[in-house]
Amino acid sequence: MEAYILPKAELGNFVAALKKDNEVLGPVAKGDEYVFAPIEDVEALCLDYDTTILPPAKKFIHMPGEVLYEFEGVVEGKTPEKVGKRVLFGVHACDLNGLLSLDKVFLETYPDPYYKARRENTAIVALNCVSPCSDGFCASFNTGPSADIGFDLCLTDLGDRYMVEVGSNKGREMVKGLNAASNEDFIARNRSLRVAQQQITRRIDADNLGVLLHQNYDHPVWREVKEECLACGSCTSVCPTCYCFGVKDYVDLTLEKGERQRFWDSCMFYEFSRVAMDHIFVPDRETRIKQRMYHKLTYYQQQFEAPGCVGCGRCVTTCIKRIDPVEIVAKIQADPKPEKEVKLYTPPEKKVKPELDPWEPQKAVIKSIKQQTPDVRTYTFAFVDPEVQEAYTYDPGVFNMISVFGVGESAISISSCADLKGVFQHTIRAVGNVTNALAELKEGDIVGIRGPFGFGWPVEEMKGKDVLLVAGGIGLAPLRPVIKYIQARRNEYGKFEILYGCRTPEGMLFTDEYDEWRKIPDTRLHLTVDLVPPGCEWGHCIGVVTTLFNKISVDKANTVVLTCGPDIMMKFVVLDLLKRGWSPEQIYVSLERRMSCGIKKCGNCQMGPVFVCQDGPVFRYADIMDLPGGVF
Amino acid sequence: MAKPTIAFFKFSSCAGCQLNVLNLEPVLLDIVGAVDIRYFVMAKRENFEGPYDIGFVEGAVTSPRELMELKKIREECKILVAQGACACHGGIPSVKNFSGMTQREMEEKVYTELWDLKSFPAHGIDYYVKVDAYLKGCPMDKDEFVMLVKSALKGLNPLFRYHSVCNECKLKENNCLVLTKGIPCMGTVTAAGCGAQCPSLGRACEGCRGPASDCNAASLARTFIDLGLSRDDVVRKFRKYAGNTPEFSKGAEAV
Repeated sequence: MEAYILPKAELGNFVAALKKDNEVLGPVAKGDEYVFAPIEDVEALCLDYDTTILPPAKKFIHMPGEVLYEFEGVVEGKTPEKVGKRVLFGVHACDLNGLLSLDKVFLETYPDPYYKARRENTAIVALNCVSPCSDGFCASFNTGPSADIGFDLCLTDLGDRYMVEVGSNKGREMVKGLNAASNEDFIARNRSLRVAQQQITRRIDADNLGVLLHQNYDHPVWREVKEECLACGSCTSVCPTCYCFGVKDYVDLTLEKGERQRFWDSCMFYEFSRVAMDHIFVPDRETRIKQRMYHKLTYYQQQFEAPGCVGCGRCVTTCIKRIDPVEIVAKIQADPKPEKEVKLYTPPEKKVKPELDPWEPQKAVIKSIKQQTPDVRTYTFAFVDPEVQEAYTYDPGVFNMISVFGVGESAISISSCADLKGVFQHTIRAVGNVTNALAELKEGDIVGIRGPFGFGWPVEEMKGKDVLLVAGGIGLAPLRPVIKYIQARRNEYGKFEILYGCRTPEGMLFTDEYDEWRKIPDTRLHLTVDLVPPGCEWGHCIGVVTTLFNKISVDKANTVVLTCGPDIMMKFVVLDLLKRGWSPEQIYVSLERRMSCGIKKCGNCQMGPVFVCQDGPVFRYADIMDLPGGVF
Repeated sequence: MAKPTIAFFKFSSCAGCQLNVLNLEPVLLDIVGAVDIRYFVMAKRENFEGPYDIGFVEGAVTSPRELMELKKIREECKILVAQGACACHGGIPSVKNFSGMTQREMEEKVYTELWDLKSFPAHGIDYYVKVDAYLKGCPMDKDEFVMLVKSALKGLNPLFRYHSVCNECKLKENNCLVLTKGIPCMGTVTAAGCGAQCPSLGRACEGCRGPASDCNAASLARTFIDLGLSRDDVVRKFRKYAGNTPEFSKGAEAV
């Protein structure tokens, strides 16, 4: 280990030297607590701080709020990134590890350019804890009290001097002129860190924690926590690994000019999962509490192979009720539910185009609009840039993020098949802000498109098998590409059967295409509606879509089922099929959740350990049926 | 396209929310440029009859005359906005609902001439008519007002987020008043949107914006008892601005 000695009397000069080229951010007192702030005066630097209100790395690198884009009308311009060089000075090991966990979220698969710019321009001077804070339990996860990796420099307080370990070339530049550490210095360092380690008495037994929590999803302790929890969300604001954010468009009074901003969000908030028509996917507080706790203690590891909890103890310090993961886990361990075999979810391998700026929407023009029902339209788009359009391809069942600037962005599945060249289609019901704004647009208008994102229908695995589609209402839109796909490759698939249910005949989509679908060889189309209004002609079935199951003629043993519709419909489709002896391995569902990014970053679409946006939206039911808390 | 017409009305309240509209100096002229203010007695000499596109109603409804007017206003306005704590939840006037006195006893306490006075318990306006949007707080937040006007002009749902004030307080890295000073702060159960103004100045949140979504008032009431508040004080905390709401009632009734 390469290490130097910085006498405490020299600290001022050392920081002053750093300040020549960098903004130095360090711990300063604020009332009875500490915060990370720009260091004007070295005297203000409190390197003996216990913990800070907000974690430094998250505060300055994953900023609480920032502008993603500016726009005027539909013309978007990217905000210039003005990030000067910075040094985070005196970062505790827990917070450094928190930053490394955030790096997994923001720098892998689709690297986030905003985060990346700040991250690359920020040097980290870590600080080992020789007198650990009272609420921390970092030793449980090997995320403290001392830092092992990820720093440029790391300080250890040795009384009258700091030992300065070098972790990078950037760090080596900073310590020029300091004397090398002696053997005695190393001995003193190791001794004080060993003492510190022993002082941390709070511990979570991290072995097999995921399985234990999974088995105890219904443990009575969660009811107790629910009664206590104030649902204020402070635990998520102060957590160094909580990354969830929301995105919103703000306009000035011209209503044309504005900016798209993102802001920290929290899974503890009731509105976190809110979508159009004020539908809330997770309305129950207990479920939200568990989503957070499980995410910290197990899901994060499953999703990003990094610790979701670094044991900094802030969630306990900041909680008026002192809801404490250490205590909760201890309570569960003291009285666990009977063991049952559980399989932890592992996300599928993801294929991405990493050169893409994941936030930059491509401009697309509306070529035509076709009214499907009174509130559903099919839009045919083409990218303004012909090269983008040429290169654009996608699997059946995936989605785009569609932007109407000044209104917002929505995740909407593609309703055309990539065989259709030169254009692509979306079939959209006007229900919320973005979709209502889309309904106002005309041919020739421009929208922003990011995508395609997600995993679609298993068209490869289906080859040689019979295919059964079960769709409800607008859920036919993401299944239409499959119909087109099979039509173009008819001999690669077995029997093909489409069951489609709607509330009323008036609500049925793609009615003018049914004759064409029926003409596909060896294909049957069954229709049903919940009710037929007086005066309406209807020659097909009446009842929910599962009533059509008696008409199924495909071979159960050799069929793949694809279903999409409202959650409640898919729930009964799956239940009914399982009851009839179908297996969860052959059923695929397409889920819907609130999404603000589409690229596994905003966290809005998380359902247990699953990111609906990137692990789905199409899932094999067998893969998700055992999630803690279930699917539907 | 003609500019949308807007109107401001006032019932039992202090007129502070209307004043806050006039305090919007930096953007007031832009707003006047974007909309046609047809009725605003506090600010204009010339006022016109309805109908209006957007009506902002300040104040609680606590008399038959006010109720009659409110119903007329509802018919006249395409979008009706409850402006401020009184119109949203009953506000300060609703304190009387929980005084334990009869309506007549209260009238006698306040007024000397009672022959022309008719009053009933104070409620927010959505107790009587359908309300399309809310501007919470005492007074309402100016930025939220502007955001609502913009959303209405664009035909959008403003999608206000009513999570707890603590979120905004934490982002400002304020010292938590409950934890560091033992001050009974209502922030955990109160709807955000004010930017945690009071706690940022070292004053406890009074709960003027009413309950946060899915808040746990009963649990906070127990904390207040632990902090040394009397049962009566806890009840007063929860009955001050939004005592009518079921959420804050749970806090008042928990101890």
